[in-house]
Amino acid sequence: MSSSGTPSSESPPPTVTQPEPTEAPASPATVIANHKKKDLSKVIVRFRAIGNAPILKQNIFKITATNKFMAVIQFLRKELNYQQSDPLFLYVNSAFSPAPDEIVNNLYKCFNTDGKLIVNYCTSPAWG
Amino acid sequence: MPPQPGQGKTQAAAASSTTTSTSTPAPHNPIAKVIWDGSIPIQFTWDKDEAAAVGSNAVESFFYEASRCSYFSLLTSHVRKHFVDMALHFIGDDAEVWYDYEGTPLKWHYPIGLLYDIHGLQTSAGKGMNGSLLPWKVTVHFQNFPGDKLIKSQAVDSCQDYFMSMIKEADYLRNGSTKKVMNMSKSDQTQLWDGLWSNDYDRFWGMNHKLMMNDGAMARNLPIRIYLPENCPIIQDPVSPVDENDQPKTLRQVLHTSLPDLFPLVETGPPVAAAMIHGIIPSLDTSAIWASQNMSYPDNFLHLVIIFK
Repeated sequence: MSSSGTPSSESPPPTVTQPEPTEAPASPATVIANHKKKDLSKVIVRFRAIGNAPILKQNIFKITATNKFMAVIQFLRKELNYQQSDPLFLYVNSAFSPAPDEIVNNLYKCFNTDGKLIVNYCTSPAWG
Repeated sequence: MPPQPGQGKTQAAAASSTTTSTSTPAPHNPIAKVIWDGSIPIQFTWDKDEAAAVGSNAVESFFYEASRCSYFSLLTSHVRKHFVDMALHFIGDDAEVWYDYEGTPLKWHYPIGLLYDIHGLQTSAGKGMNGSLLPWKVTVHFQNFPGDKLIKSQAVDSCQDYFMSMIKEADYLRNGSTKKVMNMSKSDQTQLWDGLWSNDYDRFWGMNHKLMMNDGAMARNLPIRIYLPENCPIIQDPVSPVDENDQPKTLRQVLHTSLPDLFPLVETGPPVAAAMIHGIIPSLDTSAIWASQNMSYPDNFLHLVIIFK
């Protein structure tokens, strides 16, 4: 960000759009583009085994916030060395089972506990 | 409708009688009723290539008036039966059926009305089209399930599981736990799904109003999801129903928090965006908690589809 605000003696920006005044709202197209932007920020997920599910040695991980919950499921399966056919059920806060297409960041924003998204896992369905 | 002695029996019979306990009648709520009765005429057409492959290119479409609050999984057995009856040497399998609209696979775990608002109305508004999309032209597939775009296991039982999970997630948002749902008896929980499946308003809302009204306690957060066009990631923020002065928030305040550029608190020019619920565009001055209690889908979420003007 060192030179972005200062006029440069060389290479006049050819077709760069004017930076928008801070007060003007972004256009719908810009809003869409911003929401689609690949954001690599991460959130902390803590896995907790339930019942006779195997315990992880390391149970706290950082997971990309824009990922879908599917990524959490696949990640955990890999950590547990589970095959696709092995039954595994995941819950947030021992309460509900998010759909695989829910966004990790939404779950984090709505349900985190002290900055961690608690994901419980077990080998048979719990909590109805 | 006054309660009648025989009513409980016929209802239980109609709803495949999982319970014989008398259900609480649904309180009078014309808004919830009219939303419940909302429907979309759908024209189901068999994918051309798939039909041709079994020599059934001339098979007629299947027309069905679907409840906005229902799910494609609940229609699949009707849809498959139509095409099986029409085509020779074809059996098909409910477990392989999926649907698309103009090439976009339709998520079976979303309510049909929400899918229509997103893929039909939101998309056509984005292209500047105003013409009617009805009947909604949906393509049926019996092969090549797109496992990268849709969740596999679209059986009715899975649909019920996802539906109940949404209700629990909503309960968690409102109360910080799922006690309200978990304290319901198994048959009371089943009544929610059975009411939806059998399109029985009284059966569903007789139970659902306990969740929606939250026993009179103010919800911590409102279960709201916001859908931007072009397949943007869904927005779900924790939304308190009241502002810092303990006044009920309006839909505009809620939308402003998540999308300040599209929904300024004070419009200085023509609005650039609107929020659609169940195919209509409510005033942004509507109280958010009122909208949540009265205009949510049966999954207990208020689904707001953003339309650009």
